[in-house]
This record gives sequence, structure tokens and C-alpha cells, in this order.
Amino acid sequence: MAELAGVYAASHGPLIIRKWDSVSPAHQQALTGAFDELGRRIRAARLDALVIISPDHWVNFFIDNLPMICIGVGETHGGPNEPWMVKEFPHPTLPGHPQLARHILETALESGFEPSVSHQMLLDHGFCIPLLKAGVDPLPIVPIVFNDIEPPFPTVRRCYAWGEMLAQAIATMPGNLRVGVLASGGLSHSVGEATMGLVEEEFDRECLAHFAAGDPAALCDFLTQRLPQVGNGASEIRNWVAAHGVAGGRGFDLINYSAVPEVIVGCGFAAWDLAGRN
Amino acid sequence: MRDYWLSKLFFDLQDPAKAAEYRAGRAQVLDRYTLKPAVRAAVEADDVGYLAQLVNPYLLRFYFLVAGMADDEFVKRIRASGDGHG
Repeated sequence: MAELAGVYAASHGPLIIRKWDSVSPAHQQALTGAFDELGRRIRAARLDALVIISPDHWVNFFIDNLPMICIGVGETHGGPNEPWMVKEFPHPTLPGHPQLARHILETALESGFEPSVSHQMLLDHGFCIPLLKAGVDPLPIVPIVFNDIEPPFPTVRRCYAWGEMLAQAIATMPGNLRVGVLASGGLSHSVGEATMGLVEEEFDRECLAHFAAGDPAALCDFLTQRLPQVGNGASEIRNWVAAHGVAGGRGFDLINYSAVPEVIVGCGFAAWDLAGRN
Repeated sequence: MRDYWLSKLFFDLQDPAKAAEYRAGRAQVLDRYTLKPAVRAAVEADDVGYLAQLVNPYLLRFYFLVAGMADDEFVKRIRASGDGHG
């Protein structure tokens, strides 16, 4: 059977690309170091496939048909189409892993989840900034879109349960695949609303403390209460919650947290110590 | 509340070709969308605060990038609008 070989999380603010030259040297160093460490850990895990959980920033879906969760089952996926990403990201297409994607889909359906399905998905900056900045060579990817963008959102508890289901799917996938899971997005940021640009460091640090504490119920309660009160971009922490569920709610290891006003994101990077979970 | 046709306009303008056409002449593009008069007037006036009440905040952000409003100006206007979490 397949093996869960790594669980990771990383922020993906567009200004990390668009306005990199405006980022202070200290913050450039912090972000570069964090992405480098993320890339080192992903390469060290020798993954055969990477499941990436990210929002869709209005690239694939619109309000005429907006899935809460969608799995990309295609043999290939389109690279980012944002003009500022096209210039930077060297891969116009990325390989998929349809067998793993299909197994996740079937496991989901057997487990009481009804995700949407896409046979041709574009992977926007949310999926591709962590790959680009961490220097991860293209490997087969199973993209999973969580709706973190347009309310109403999946509940935090449901996202955690999704992660648990995803772990079960990986554990029952035939073959000797080494599979990783990367949550992309968060932490606090605010886009297109009156608090735009606000990084809520106190919230971020409290959130990170909940991840580290290893009490998923308390984490879910905290986020259920607080996410509606902070900037809209923090909704992407739902993806981290799913990753936490994949890891069984234990082993959270913060690589770096930096509140970076130049990119208007509380930038977080983490991996889960899978060996130390029990 | 979401205004569908305003949202559709903003969504469609993510296409670089459509964005270029829009920048070259807004009226011709706006004519293709069934915008309410007050909504069209707000688009023509770059009324960030009014439009913020009608579309997803990410689409709003994308639109004003496409429309050519400087980042600092957009941030100033959206903060002044007082429009809360989207």
C-alpha cells in the first residue's frame, strides 16, 4: 500500500512574486529560508505524488457553479494563468496522478463525502507559488480545491474530517507510492476589504499554538469562532486544518512564521513529524 | 449579496485579451453585460466602495488591477469604504 511520506503547509501570497523587490532584505531572507527548508524536506521525502490543497482564486470556478471541494483527476493540469505567474513559473502544464486521484475520490464517496470532480484543472498561484519558491521539480500532483474564497465555506470540522479521510485514502492506495500532502494558503491576510493589508500576528500565533498543542477539537473551536472575525484570507487556514487531519492532529512542526506587511500576509510554513505522532 | 453580471464582468476580465479590450474602451465591453444603471455608473466612476458591496473581494481586487488602478490607491479607497469582511 501507499505510504504517507510527508505533510506540509505554506503560504502563497501573490506579492511574494509580484512585489518581491519591495520586500525588505530581512523578510526576503526569512521567506527564502522557509521555502528552502520546505523544499529540502519535500525532496528528502522522495515523493512519488503530492496532493496539494489550495483555494481556486476564480480561475476554474465562478459563482454559477462553485464547488466546496473539488478533486483534479486529470492526467495533466494546466499551469497558472495569471500573467505575473506565467512569467515566473516555468511549467505550462503539470503532471497529474489520475490513479491516486480516483482512489481519493472513491474513498471520499465511500466515506460520506461528495466532492466535485475536474478532469482539466488550472493550477493557479495558490498551487504553484510553494512549488516555485521551494524549488520543487514537477512531480505528479493531485490538486484538491477547497472553497476558501466565497462564503459560505466548508466548516472547519469538516475540513479536519476531510484530512482524516485523505489519510485513509492514502493508506489504502494500492502500490508502493510515497505520497505527500501540501496545504497552501493562510495565515492571516485581508484582500479587497476594508482591512486590506492588515496582518493579524496575534491571531496567527494563537492559531499556530493550537496546531502545536495537538488538540484538534480545540483548534476547530478556535477557528470556527475566530475566522469570521479576521481578514478573509485567513479562511485558507482550512487547508492547514485538513493537513492536520491527514497527520492525525499531531506532530506539527513550525518551520517559520513571519508577519510580512510588504506581501500583506502572515506567512507560515510547517511540516508534520509523522514519525513522532504517536 | 452578489451582483451576478458585475461579478461576471470582473471574472471575465481576468482574460488578458478581454482586459486589453476593456482598457482600450470600457463602454463597448460594458454594453455586453446586463448591468443595472447604478452598477454601471459605479463601474464608470471607479466607485470602489459601492462595488465592494456587490462582488467577492478577490474579484474586486483583480478588477481594479486590470482596470489600472494603482495598488496604493485601491487600498486607500477600500479602507475608506469601511466594507467589512467579505
